[in-house]
Amino acid sequence: MPLLKDSDREQLQKEFEQLENPVKLVFFTQALDCDYCPLTQQVLEELAGLSDKIQLQIQNFAIDKEPVYEYKIARAPATAVVRVETQMVDGVAQTRDRDYGIRYYGVPAGFEFGALVSDVLDVSRGDSGLTAQSKAVLAQLQEPLHLQVFTTPT
Amino acid sequence: MVTADMVDASEYPELADMYHVYGVPLTVANEKVRIEGGMPEPMFIPRVLQGIGVSINSPFVQKD
Repeated sequence: MPLLKDSDREQLQKEFEQLENPVKLVFFTQALDCDYCPLTQQVLEELAGLSDKIQLQIQNFAIDKEPVYEYKIARAPATAVVRVETQMVDGVAQTRDRDYGIRYYGVPAGFEFGALVSDVLDVSRGDSGLTAQSKAVLAQLQEPLHLQVFTTPT
Repeated sequence: MVTADMVDASEYPELADMYHVYGVPLTVANEKVRIEGGMPEPMFIPRVLQGIGVSINSPFVQKD
């Protein structure tokens, strides 16, 4: 049974018409000891089904060591929201992933589903939506800043 | 330079315990600074930067 209601699906499809660059959801799952992996995958599959510009890449957290390392994934279920960019190299179009460091640990449900939709739109646009003032301040950071925002599904 | 994780506290209770998550949202910056509640961007960013000990020259960030 789908999680999204028909009316929500229609509204989101409309909203995703404004997507510019494709967005890739890199989902890390594991077969054992992960109660919420199947539900997370279902949420992401339904989201990816709403637009040709949203891709879903499924990785096994226990086996696919390379992407786990590349995306610095600490646990499963985890989802990275990545921008897919195309550039011309010697007249040939090449795609590359641009990782803004956005991760979801757990099921993006409830309020978090809305946050994920906003992230998909922002990542596609390539703009955080922060004010110019905030961007100017953050651009001066010399050391990495890692934020963990704890939420509960509601 | 900036990475952000959304963490479902109910799904990762060991992390929630480690950072003493009693209410949400709770933001942890660089594994050490806890910021409780949601707040507008012009308040939030200075709180984070002050918390991690970064002093940035901007009228926007209050100096200690």
